[in-house]
Amino acid sequence: MNIIEIKGVTKDYALGSTTVHALRGIDLTIEEGDLMTIMGPSGSGKTTLLNVVGCIDQATSGSVTVHGDEVTKLNDRQVTDLRLNRIGFIFQTFNLIPVLNALENVEFPMLLLKKDSRAEVRKKAERLIEAVGIREYMHHRPAELSGGQRQRVAIARALVTNPDIVLADEPTANLDSVTGGQILDLMKEMNAREKTTFIFSTHDANVLKYARTAVKIKDGIIAEKSRL
Amino acid sequence: MNLIIKIAWRNIMRHRGKSLVIGAILFTGALLMTVGNGVISGMDAGLQKNIVEGFCGDALLVSDKQESDNVFLDPMGKAVEPVNNYKAIDSALGAIPYVKKWLPIGKNFAMALNDDGGVADGVFVLGVDMEKYRRFFDGNLKLFAGRFLNENEPGVLIPTGWRKQFGEYYNVLFTPEGAKIDTAMLGKDVTSRLADMTVKHSVVYMGMNMNNTTTDVRVPVRGIVKYRSLNTIWGNFPIVDIESYRECQGYFSAQATTASVKKEDLDLLGKADGSLDDLFSQGDLVVTQKVSTAPAALAEGSLAVTRDTVRKTVDPDAGTFNLVLLRFAKGQKLDKSVEVLNKFLAEKKLGVRAVTWKKATGMIGSMAGLIKTSLFVFVMFLFFVAIIIIVNTLSMAAIERTAEIGMMRAIGARKGFIRAMFLGETATLSAVFGGAGVLVGILAVNIITAFNITTDNDMVQLLYGGDTFRPLLSLLDMALVVVQLVIVTFIAVIYPIRVASNITPLDAVSRE
Repeated sequence: MNIIEIKGVTKDYALGSTTVHALRGIDLTIEEGDLMTIMGPSGSGKTTLLNVVGCIDQATSGSVTVHGDEVTKLNDRQVTDLRLNRIGFIFQTFNLIPVLNALENVEFPMLLLKKDSRAEVRKKAERLIEAVGIREYMHHRPAELSGGQRQRVAIARALVTNPDIVLADEPTANLDSVTGGQILDLMKEMNAREKTTFIFSTHDANVLKYARTAVKIKDGIIAEKSRL
Repeated sequence: MNLIIKIAWRNIMRHRGKSLVIGAILFTGALLMTVGNGVISGMDAGLQKNIVEGFCGDALLVSDKQESDNVFLDPMGKAVEPVNNYKAIDSALGAIPYVKKWLPIGKNFAMALNDDGGVADGVFVLGVDMEKYRRFFDGNLKLFAGRFLNENEPGVLIPTGWRKQFGEYYNVLFTPEGAKIDTAMLGKDVTSRLADMTVKHSVVYMGMNMNNTTTDVRVPVRGIVKYRSLNTIWGNFPIVDIESYRECQGYFSAQATTASVKKEDLDLLGKADGSLDDLFSQGDLVVTQKVSTAPAALAEGSLAVTRDTVRKTVDPDAGTFNLVLLRFAKGQKLDKSVEVLNKFLAEKKLGVRAVTWKKATGMIGSMAGLIKTSLFVFVMFLFFVAIIIIVNTLSMAAIERTAEIGMMRAIGARKGFIRAMFLGETATLSAVFGGAGVLVGILAVNIITAFNITTDNDMVQLLYGGDTFRPLLSLLDMALVVVQLVIVTFIAVIYPIRVASNITPLDAVSRE
């Protein structure tokens, strides 16, 4: 079953007097539970594609359907709720809330969701913190954590609301190769355990071994899509 | 909510420098406002107490013909209309339960004359029945020399303010006959010229009123007095016995009714018992037929009529007054009480209306309000500057936190959450620092009050609202500061909130 359907998506940016065509007509379907990597050189449109899929950015034309919802037709509030309920994000620079500790950062989306009791939120956050292997650091604030530990917190936070999709934009870019490998292992493990769809962008060909589907993007168009 | 407060508080602690700048401004504003309100309220209460209890009562009755309510300090010095039916008013006032006591007085402008008949100085003169006056204003006058007026005794009590002023300008020093000259209240200028000054034991007043039927009346100086509070203002109001006052103003006096009627005329009128009162509308004008007043005599070297003997048999309430001063029961709401009273007076067709002490004393009555307004404007200016600084600081903070805010939006925080977070931060600062300002202000007001600072200086008394500096904080004052803080917080946070809530997830991603 396709969880994401992208049809004819283009994205143009105005840069002074010129227009940059970041995406030039993307057609892509992503199956539920997939672990997809989007590869390509810098400036190829990887991040733009992830942003459009994650409703962080709007396509200039075309349609993006996430779990049956045509996101280009949603207003700001609906898009925000869609991100909260169905999509988890892992950013390149970790992007944790600096004044909250690791555990509180993981709890944050659940507290926004207001579905579970305070105790249930705490229990689930602790379980995920443990699952990503940083239990002893859960009361540390982001500034007191290493890059790898922060990215583990970000993964736990992305998974805490049981999203359908987790989007990760170059999650290992700022990590050393060993730590980067551990993070990708963790994502693969979570994909297998939670059946969550993972889409991550990278320009590192070494990460291919972690993915089930690989999409190569070049100059804003899909150059290749392959099952691994 | 807990999450917002937690984030707000931790952000405040994280950005201590900025928080302290904003907090210090809020603290200063709240402190100034609290102490200022306390001082002004104390002044207001002091003025009220000293004016009401020492000079004019809670309210007063004036003639319906009286145009201006400002009967005491009208800058144009326009004559106050006479009230000729005090007896009827006196009977009617008893029906109003909250009017606890009342006092009829005369008040108008008079000229003090030189011995050659030339005008020396103009002054507001009060005409009173001294005994009733002292009962009404218990202890409002401090005697410096001589004595108070005896019952029905002609004479004047010269207040220190007017005596000093007259001495400075006309080289004349009023003093009661036989009294030692006390230089304490005269000032350096007058004291240094004392040897060259003319000492006088009487004053000649010429009344000033609309119909110009006035008389020059010489009244002996019986005492030199100082109003216990606000002598700077009231020290220019000499107090004359009511009969001399009436004569001076050309009013209908009780004395004027005490004509001697021959026995055969009484028989002719069928009033062999001598009671002629029922022939006149005013009723008991005269208590007794026997008049012990000495005949009016011209003073040597002057055209003024001299009254210096006791008039024991006249009922002073029978003649003309200008005002009836009223004291209300404690706890009465002034405006409401006056409103009710006015309805009553109109129904009874007494030809008078009630005026609050604030209106009757013009600028002085509104002084506290004016100063309070000035302080309010000053603090509002302070808060305006504070708002600009806070807006700037918070807006910068919002821009600096673009990545954090954009990320929050990316993972599902609505704009409302971001707004609440910023409002929470500013509100927390406002509550903590503004609250501290209010508390320190309350403490300061209580400490100042505990020192019981007193003064004899007339000008300082004016600022204190009496002889003691007693700042006073009402719940309303404190509530006003809190409301101002809330308003400042809301205004200061509007723009930063707009900046923060307009940050998109893409802004955060673009900054990576």
